[in-house]
Amino acid sequence: MFYLLLEMKILEENAGALTNFEVLDFLRAKGASKDPSRVLAKVAMSEYKVYDYLVKTPAGSQTRESVKEYFTAIKQHDLSEAEVLNVLNIRPASEVEIYHIIEDCEERFPDEEVTEIVEKVGNTLPAPPDKATPEEITKGDEETETQKHDEISQDQTEDGEQMDTS
Amino acid sequence: MFYLSKIEHKFALPPHLLARPIREAIQSELERLFLDKVIQKLGLCISVYDITSIEGGSIFPGAGAPTYQVVFNLIMFRPFPGEIISAKVMSLDADGVRLSLGFFEDIYIPTHHMPYPSYYISKNNTRKWTWEYGEETDEFNIEISNEVIRFQVLSVSYPTIPVEQAKESKPFAPMVVNGSLYHEGLGPVSWWQ
Repeated sequence: MFYLLLEMKILEENAGALTNFEVLDFLRAKGASKDPSRVLAKVAMSEYKVYDYLVKTPAGSQTRESVKEYFTAIKQHDLSEAEVLNVLNIRPASEVEIYHIIEDCEERFPDEEVTEIVEKVGNTLPAPPDKATPEEITKGDEETETQKHDEISQDQTEDGEQMDTS
Repeated sequence: MFYLSKIEHKFALPPHLLARPIREAIQSELERLFLDKVIQKLGLCISVYDITSIEGGSIFPGAGAPTYQVVFNLIMFRPFPGEIISAKVMSLDADGVRLSLGFFEDIYIPTHHMPYPSYYISKNNTRKWTWEYGEETDEFNIEISNEVIRFQVLSVSYPTIPVEQAKESKPFAPMVVNGSLYHEGLGPVSWWQ
């Protein structure tokens, strides 16, 4: 017989917002991948479900540099934190898609600024995984792209881990 | 949709994990306790992000396992009102549409938040919601398929656990997201391209 001392205290309800890309990056660093042999990774089934969802969203083709570039470029516009995050996670490709992510868009931003924002999104963030043009993606190419991308994120994560231990 | 939440938890570490290095054992137990579970007001726990500190390890009299006090960060899925999320249709009926993210399936769009005007049609074996836009009929449909649907989060609620449930009622959902498809830009992505 043993006592189950269960006491949970919430220290910080919100210790920081995470972009879809950061969560995907975290799961990848844990070992999640599109590889069908998933038994070996230390990733739980429920975590894999999140990975499978995120990998198909625009976050699936984002990289750390592109996200950093996006944040720098978007700073010049007066968007709330929630809107910056929404735009990053959805990666709108046209004005119509943006109108609705940004509250009172027509009143706060002149048309040219909206177009500018859409352009900046298009320039800094890669196209979502399923929107890549057919000529670019053949079966073989898709795998090398994902591998290259995985390698890049792993290299970056290794740097990240080194920083944490020091 | 994801936030980090810092939690402090005191718990006993089951003896069968004691052969492992302490961090690994604690991570394993935290994952068993929190992963895929809903914490009221914080959302659905996706992952243990990191462990900030581990204290304790003393064994209380009569207990067979050491008790640890651990401070750690969890990645929580907690959509905010106004957020726009892509999902897939899981089921539909006259009361609205139910959407799923794969890892979370309790997203409901009630009738009054469907695009206006739209109608629920259940005919032969097909069920769908049709949006009447302009002269077109039957061009804008929402059906169970692999298509990506964008919805806007209206609210997130955490219903209290019912003491008793009727046998045929839906399994209890500890976290429910209410959404809307009302505005321009929402609904199947194909409608807006």
